[in-house]
Amino acid sequence: MERRSGTTISRRRFLQSVAAIGVASACAPSGAPAGAGPAASPGGSAAAAKPVSIEWWRRNYTPGSQNAETLTSDGAVKAFRERNPNVTLSIQGGPFGPETDQKFDIAILQQKAGPDVFHTTGGDVLKYAAAGQLSEAPLTDAERRDFNPSALQATTYKGKVVAYPLWIVPWFEYINLDLFKERGVTPPKDGNWTYEEFLDAAKKLTFKRADGKQVYGFAHANDEFAFMLVDGGRPYDKDVKSWTFNSADAVSGLEKWVALAREKVMPPDFLTLNPNDAQARFISGDVAILQRPSAMINVLNADKKFEYTKNWEIANFPKGKGEQTAWGGVGFIAVRDQQDADKKAAAHQFAKYLTGPEIGPDLKKMAPPVEYWLAPAARVSAAGIYGEYHPAKAKVAKMSSFTYVLPNVRTFSEIDQKHLRPARDAALEGKKTPKQALDEVATAAQRLLDEANK
Amino acid sequence: MPATLRRHGSSYLFVLPTFSFFVVFTLLPVVQAFALSLQSATIVGGEWIGLENFATLADDPVFRQALGNTVLYTVVVVAAQIVLALVVASLIQPLGRKNQTFYRALFYLPLVNSAILVAMVWRWIFNPNPFGLANTALGTVGLGPFLWIGSSDEALIAVILSSVLTIPGGGVVLYSAAISSLPRELYEAADVEGAGWFTKWWRITVPLLKPTTLYLVVIYTILAFQVFERVYVMTNGGGPNNATITIVQLIYSTAFQFGRYGLASAMAVVLFLMAVAVAVVQFRSLRSDVEY
Repeated sequence: MERRSGTTISRRRFLQSVAAIGVASACAPSGAPAGAGPAASPGGSAAAAKPVSIEWWRRNYTPGSQNAETLTSDGAVKAFRERNPNVTLSIQGGPFGPETDQKFDIAILQQKAGPDVFHTTGGDVLKYAAAGQLSEAPLTDAERRDFNPSALQATTYKGKVVAYPLWIVPWFEYINLDLFKERGVTPPKDGNWTYEEFLDAAKKLTFKRADGKQVYGFAHANDEFAFMLVDGGRPYDKDVKSWTFNSADAVSGLEKWVALAREKVMPPDFLTLNPNDAQARFISGDVAILQRPSAMINVLNADKKFEYTKNWEIANFPKGKGEQTAWGGVGFIAVRDQQDADKKAAAHQFAKYLTGPEIGPDLKKMAPPVEYWLAPAARVSAAGIYGEYHPAKAKVAKMSSFTYVLPNVRTFSEIDQKHLRPARDAALEGKKTPKQALDEVATAAQRLLDEANK
Repeated sequence: MPATLRRHGSSYLFVLPTFSFFVVFTLLPVVQAFALSLQSATIVGGEWIGLENFATLADDPVFRQALGNTVLYTVVVVAAQIVLALVVASLIQPLGRKNQTFYRALFYLPLVNSAILVAMVWRWIFNPNPFGLANTALGTVGLGPFLWIGSSDEALIAVILSSVLTIPGGGVVLYSAAISSLPRELYEAADVEGAGWFTKWWRITVPLLKPTTLYLVVIYTILAFQVFERVYVMTNGGGPNNATITIVQLIYSTAFQFGRYGLASAMAVVLFLMAVAVAVVQFRSLRSDVEY
C-alpha cells in the first residue's frame, strides 16, 4: 500500500486521537457557555427567530400507532410548528414503567443530558428539581393564578415552580345504570351522595342472580386511598412536613373503607384487583359502581352498546365529614436546565404551549380533529375544551376543582408500598383496627418524609 | 514470556471472548454490587457508609418478612420439585424409547413458555372469586371457595402451589437421562435377591442418582431464591399485606422504584451469601463418591 509523504500517523496514534476527541466532546459544554442567561419568555423572540431543534420525551409515544398519547403528541408538534416554524421538534417515546423511569433517571440525573422538554409525574419532578436539573417555569402572576393551586403546589420546589402542571386526573365513581334500575336503586342526584347513601346503594346492588352469577355493589382497582380523604384526612400537613395520615379523620375514613369490606359489597379479590380486570367486570355487569380515573370515559365510549346516561353515569366520591373531595393525579411538563439558552427558551415556549389554552383549539381545528386534553386541564383558561368533547367530560371537568392532588414527596412510593399499603390491607382484612394500622405506619412514614424534606 | 503462556497462548485466545463476557456481564456487576452495598448509593452517586445498609436491613421488618417468605418458598418448592421430578422420571423409565421421548418432551414443553404467561394463568387459576379455576374445581367436591391470592393468609400458599404443581421438566429430563445410564446388573442382582420395585427404587435408583440430585438441588435452590415474576404477576408484587413479598421482589422495588441502589445491593449481597452458604451445605451433605 502506498504511504503518503509528509506526516504519517500510526494506527495506535490514530485510535488515541479519536478517543481523545471523543472524551473532549463528551466533556465539553454544549452550545452557549455557562450562565448564558435565563430562559427567554415563552413568547420570546430570541427563540422565535433563530432555528433551534429540541427533543421531547413522551411516555407511551409509539411512532405510527393510534394510541391517544401518540396522536395528541404528533398533533401538538404539528400545531406548535405552525406557530413557531423555527423550532424543530423530535419526540422520543417509551412505555409507562420502571424501564422508562430508569432511562429518564440515567439521562437526566447521571449524564445531565437527554430531553429538552419532557412529560413527568409524581415524585420525579422533585427528584429532578433537587438534583438541579429542572429549569424554573417563567410564569407571570396571571398565569400562576390561572393554574389549579394544588397542582401548582405539587410542582413547587423550594418556592420555585419547576414544571408546568398539564392536567389533573380526577377519580370518581362510574355507575352502571342498568344494575341500578334492575335493583330499584335511585342513582345519586346530580352525582352527589353521602357515604351512607353510597354504602346503602352498594349493599342493595350486591346480589346473586338466579344463574348463580354474583354481582358486587362496588369495586376499585388496588391503587388508591380515596376513602381515607372523605372525612378530611390528608397524608401531610399543609407544609408537607408532618405525616398526618393517622389523624382521627384519616382513621374514620379508613373505617368507612373497612365497612365496605366487612359488608362484602366488594369482590373477594379487591386487594389484588388490577385496573383492567376491574374495568372489565364493570363493563360486563359484574360490578355496579366502579372507582376509576377520568381516562375510563374513553374506554366506555368505545363501546357503542354501552351509552352514557342510558347505561352508565358518573358520580362524585361519596361525601363524608369533610369537604367534597376527589382523589386524583397530576401530570407535568418539565424543562431540563441546560446551558444552551436557545434550546431552553424553545423548550419553555413549547412547554407553555402544551399546558396552555391555545393547543386545544389548535388541535380541534385539524382534519380530522385531535382531542388534545386527555384529562381536565390544570388551568382555568384551558379547561373548557375538554368538556366540549363529551357530556361526561363536561361533568368531570367540574370535579377537577375539588380534586385532592397528592403533594409531591420523592419518598412517597416507598412510604406507600412498604408501609401504608400493607397497613391498609391489614385493616381491610380485619387483622388490625384502622387506628392501629395507621399508627404503626406513622413513624416510618415521618422518617421518610423527613428524608425527602432534607 | 512464561513457558505456559507460550505453549497454551492460543488456547487462552479462544477462551478470551467468553471470559470477557463473563468478566463484563457477571464478575464486574457482582463486584460492583458488593461495593454498592457499602454505599448510600442512588442514581447520582453515593457515599461510603460501611455496613450501615446491612444494619438497616436487620431492622427492617419488610426485609425480614421477605427473607422468611423466600426461605419458606425455597424449602417447600425445592423439596417438592426434586421429589416430583424423581418420581415422574422413574415412572416414565419403564416405558419404551418412543414413549420416553414423548413424555420427556411433554414435561419439558411448559419450560419454553414465557414465565409471565404461566404466572398469568396461575393468577387466573387462583382467582379468589368462585369462578376461579381452583375454586370451581374444589367446589365440585364441596370445598371452598378459598380467597387464595386475595388473602394475606393464603396468598403465599397459592404462589407455592403454583410452583409445586408445575412439573419441573428440566429435572424430569435430567433424572430420566441419569436413570437410563444406571447399570442394569444391579437391578438384575436385586431381582435375584427378590427385591420388589420400591426396594429397587429406594435402595438402588435413588442413591445412585445422588450426583444428579445434588446438581438439581443446588440449581433449584438458586432459582427458588430468585423467585420474582410469579410473585409480581400473581399478587401484584407482594400480595395483600406484603404476604408474598420475596427478596428479589424487594430488591427490584428498592432499587428501581425507591432509587436506593446501595440498600438494594446489600439485599443482593445477603441473597448471594445465602445461596453460597446453602450450596456449601448441600454439597457437603449430598456429596458422595458414587461409582458404577
